[in-house]
Amino acid sequence: MQLLEKVRKTEFLGKEFLAWLWFRTETERGNFKLGDKAIEIWFDGKITLQGENERGLETITCSGESQNMKEARFALAENKEVVQATLVFSMDDNQWTFVLDSLWLNFKTFKTPKIIQDKRDDPDGLFYEKMFLIEAAVSAVDDIYAEFLKLRISPEWSGEELPALSRWVREGKS
Amino acid sequence: MGLISGSGSFSRYQVKGGPAEDFLEGLSERIGRHAFRNLTEDSTQERSTGWVNVMDMFDYRFAALEFLKEPYIAMSLRVDERKIPATAIKQYCLEAEEKIKGAENLDFLPKRRRADIKEGVKLRLLKRAIPGSKVYDMIWNYSTGSVIFGGTNTKLCDEFQEIFLKTFNFHLLAMCPYTLGSGFLEKEGDSPDLIDGLVPSNIWEEP
Repeated sequence: MQLLEKVRKTEFLGKEFLAWLWFRTETERGNFKLGDKAIEIWFDGKITLQGENERGLETITCSGESQNMKEARFALAENKEVVQATLVFSMDDNQWTFVLDSLWLNFKTFKTPKIIQDKRDDPDGLFYEKMFLIEAAVSAVDDIYAEFLKLRISPEWSGEELPALSRWVREGKS
Repeated sequence: MGLISGSGSFSRYQVKGGPAEDFLEGLSERIGRHAFRNLTEDSTQERSTGWVNVMDMFDYRFAALEFLKEPYIAMSLRVDERKIPATAIKQYCLEAEEKIKGAENLDFLPKRRRADIKEGVKLRLLKRAIPGSKVYDMIWNYSTGSVIFGGTNTKLCDEFQEIFLKTFNFHLLAMCPYTLGSGFLEKEGDSPDLIDGLVPSNIWEEP
């Protein structure tokens, strides 16, 4: 199978991952423990959901503060899937903001914490600091995705996690 | 402004196969062969792409091996493109067609002739067009094999993978939920085939 075909066929994993991450951020206050690091994640700003019905593909984009995402939760409960979301990561007093998509898990409009280094004084210093910040966020997303996948292929998924996720999804209608 | 100097979007890749121990030797020549070249002023070339210094888009000589920032190879892919607004082509074509019709006493011009006029106008305007420049940072951690590219557009990402292959002779595997997942499973000693067996979960179903 060609890669592109495989990417499309397994996009459901990216969609489920974003829905599961949203569920975890709301039910466990977004606290994750990655090795010896504690990380806080929340959904913020824009979220895009998609779903197919008899009229074709429907896209819903909601933007606003995380506590006011009722419309997005309602859309999720109405059989829509999360295809793109703005996330905020907080780690070691630093904050990253980026949009993650479900198809490639690409990082869009990625913002790292502010770097104090001056490009003219020490260009290499700026480069290494920026790379450290980029890799920290990428590695955190990878670790969380790996945690999701581990759960997804285990019996625990259908036994506990999926029923809890479904309950939370359906709560979005109330 | 690229990813390193500002903020932006990026896609991720994994290099297929590890580099040989002596791969840093001769790297300068390899990069030099695919370094950026300016579009010459009176040429009709529409596009030029190539590597430039990640910290300075005007430097494509890498005189002090600026691409080497151990354990990374870091450069930017610079894309210069001459674009002519469609309305300008239309206007200049109309003027040229009217002039020919007047000179040759014709009421209309055949399709083929109009296409030739359009091509001529386009070439003439291309020489006058100032190219626009864009840079997309590329950072390859050659100790882990992971690559970050500061672009997410499919066509651009294909172009990047092609120039990466031509420069370093390595194929890139684009990261996505499937390829990332397969990598994790392999690292854990599980079979990546486990992903192939997964089907979408019904997250809306009553438990």
